Amino acid sequence: MRRLRSLAPVLLSATLCALAGASVQAATGEYWQSPTSTDKEDYVRAPMPPGFQVIATELEGPVFADAKGRTLYTWPLKNLRNGATGDRKKSGVSTCDDKVYQETSGYMSPYPPGLLLPELDKRPSCQQVWPPVVAAADAKPVGKKWTIIDRKDGTKQWAYDGLPLYISSMDHKPGDVLGGTRGVGRGGGSGVVRIPAGPTPDIPPELAMEPTVTGHMLVNHKGYSVYVSDKDAPGKSNCDAKCLTQWSPIIAPETAKEQGEWTVIERSPGVKQWAFRKQPLYTYIQDSRIHSLSGSDVPGWHNAYTQRALPPPKEFTVQDSRIGQVLADSHGKTIYIYSCTDDALDQLACDNPTTTQVYRMAICGNGDPKVCQETFPYVPAAADAKAESRFWTVMTIDPNTGHLATEGQPGAMHVWAYRDRPVYTYGPDRRPGDADGDAFGEFNGYRDGFKAFWLRDDFLDNASL
Amino acid sequence: MKRSTTTSVRKSSVASLALAAATTMAMFGSGTASAAIASEAVSPLKDGRIGYVLTDRYWAVYETKDSKTECPQGMNDGPREQFKILFPDNGTKRTVLETQLKREGDQWHPSTSPEQFTFKEAKGDLSYGMNLDGKVGPNDFQTPDGQKGIDNQLYRVIGCIANYRSSGTIYHFENEFMRRYDNTRVVIELSGVDNLTNDNDVTVTTYRGLDPLVTDATGNSFIPGGTQRIDMRWGKDYIATLKGKIVDGVLTTEPIDRAEVPWGVTFNTSGYQVFRGMRFQLKLTPQGAEGVMAGYVDVDDFTHHLNTSWSTHHHSYGQLSSQSEYRAMRRLADGYPDPKTGANTAISSAVTVKFTQVYIERPNTEPKTIVSKN
Repeated sequence: MRRLRSLAPVLLSATLCALAGASVQAATGEYWQSPTSTDKEDYVRAPMPPGFQVIATELEGPVFADAKGRTLYTWPLKNLRNGATGDRKKSGVSTCDDKVYQETSGYMSPYPPGLLLPELDKRPSCQQVWPPVVAAADAKPVGKKWTIIDRKDGTKQWAYDGLPLYISSMDHKPGDVLGGTRGVGRGGGSGVVRIPAGPTPDIPPELAMEPTVTGHMLVNHKGYSVYVSDKDAPGKSNCDAKCLTQWSPIIAPETAKEQGEWTVIERSPGVKQWAFRKQPLYTYIQDSRIHSLSGSDVPGWHNAYTQRALPPPKEFTVQDSRIGQVLADSHGKTIYIYSCTDDALDQLACDNPTTTQVYRMAICGNGDPKVCQETFPYVPAAADAKAESRFWTVMTIDPNTGHLATEGQPGAMHVWAYRDRPVYTYGPDRRPGDADGDAFGEFNGYRDGFKAFWLRDDFLDNASL
Repeated sequence: MKRSTTTSVRKSSVASLALAAATTMAMFGSGTASAAIASEAVSPLKDGRIGYVLTDRYWAVYETKDSKTECPQGMNDGPREQFKILFPDNGTKRTVLETQLKREGDQWHPSTSPEQFTFKEAKGDLSYGMNLDGKVGPNDFQTPDGQKGIDNQLYRVIGCIANYRSSGTIYHFENEFMRRYDNTRVVIELSGVDNLTNDNDVTVTTYRGLDPLVTDATGNSFIPGGTQRIDMRWGKDYIATLKGKIVDGVLTTEPIDRAEVPWGVTFNTSGYQVFRGMRFQLKLTPQGAEGVMAGYVDVDDFTHHLNTSWSTHHHSYGQLSSQSEYRAMRRLADGYPDPKTGANTAISSAVTVKFTQVYIERPNTEPKTIVSKN
């Protein structure tokens, strides 16, 4: 089936949006942190068990890691349509064990339970994919959050904030956070996914951090975006009476204490304002929705982030679409991410080339790889292409199987991958900015399907959670 | 007065389609008293312009109380029922691949190949809509008040699918979410209007609005006089211009070859419907507009919208088999033949609509150009 679209020519502006000189990056046009930037999200120091550490990561910010630098994850319980699975908080039980599930759970309405899972001869157990973070027999809890649970096999496992901890078989290097994310593909009818565990962000109580697809956005306690102005000087607000009709300073309480990158400026006697990295902070009066980027449309104003991801491949573009902006390839075709979790109780991922491809093939081609390549083609890359971001890599794929190709395999393709998962375009998209492949797949593309790579969504929550 | 973006709009606030349609038809014949008071001095008609925002939209389905007239064989089966027929619970072990994924694959790549299910088309010759082709043919409907030549073959398809009827979930939730999410805000502006009662040359422009609907204190009724900012940045594809005339308070437009109408629902979806030959017939008052938006919906686009907006789970709520619906739409498609194959690509349809008057605010800056890194 094809979306019938008019082929009206579209004029593409080559306008480059100037990068803000401030350490806080502009949102409009450029969504990424400069490779030379040293911005990193700070966190609240708290005692940790011996052998653990906090690692600064590109998109997820500070995450917990073991002694080898492997990121730690939790698997919080989530309700699906016909039941809940995952680890129940503070239950003292890990539900990810050595059982190799054979059948579906039936949690994925409307399909019944008991269907045989694909490629059972290759199916791993949950703990093969998500090895538990083992605690020594004599390990002791640390503080209120680091605790120890007993596994069914008699071993002990670390837990954080009441949830058992795991590492991911997808992560290979320190700083890898490929097993799961707080910023992508968790909306709507997604499966029960794993998310990286990390320390509490060092943010004043009046503010909060919102994970987005390109970084950690600062918002106020109600979720409204926080902005900085180019007109302000370090530690000094130049927002005058006229400016204040549009921008509200984020007031710091009398008892506010400066800490780390957070300082307090005195606007007028007795009136204090929070500043981050010396830049006074504001909300935008005309923001009518939370997590908005609209204030950044005002010249000289920018959303504030604790940190952002590094840029995608150089040839990629940003395009206007129906509800905001999307990441696109060099031809302006929208980039899509494929997400998949199966319907076994352990909800294993099926969204990367090392896993079964039957789910993706069913959606993109009704089982036919050639139809798949027409409907959602891979995004070709030069074999030696590099991106600033460690999340963007080149994979060599056998397009007929969807698996990694062997060295020198005929027909193999070099393709762009995001977080070790190939990305795609949508064949029927005709014009730059078309995103008609968005929500293509089970449960609006979240469960076994494709979502556009939304960078900005002025109406919904596609670019944040 | 309050602006509502919540779910507080109750289904009960929306009259059943049958009632709404009957009311609409009654209004068409009820004279022009209310429109007659729409003088420049008291009406929101300013400088020949008046705006309206969409508050209700329902695929036009003729319903009788027990449905036996139009659906004597009952309602169609949906995904759950068809799955049980295809894969009976008889102890046979089946794989995900041959069952669930096969069904999903068929849904995302529909075909017209025969299936084992009998599709139940709506029976009879009564329905709502407009005469789109200017003819009175054997397959046409007539309205309950006797207008002949009504083209609405989509009703034949969806009339016996529970999801589209007034007790169905799509019927309810497409309106619920239209009211909740601003990305699906539809605004029309009439310009060149000398008089809301009679004017033989007016222009209708469709836009996407950016603002929540304005309700009364109950949150259940929409009140005129709100403001809608026009989305000239992301919503350019939704701008369409139609010519029309007003006769005795009823606006009838000429068709426009192609129009895209924002039709997102929930779960971060932002879909749209594609109409060919779209036109309006609306009873106008200074406070609102009510009637029909009709045209030929593109079959592929309609199915794509259904699948990307609502999951199989949601189709199941209202016994809606996307695959079976697609086959029926292809079979009954009656417009816009493919130049190569001759097969019709679109099917006649009608949507009963209700608008509330709003003041339109245009952005005071030029629309942003598309921004690209390269």
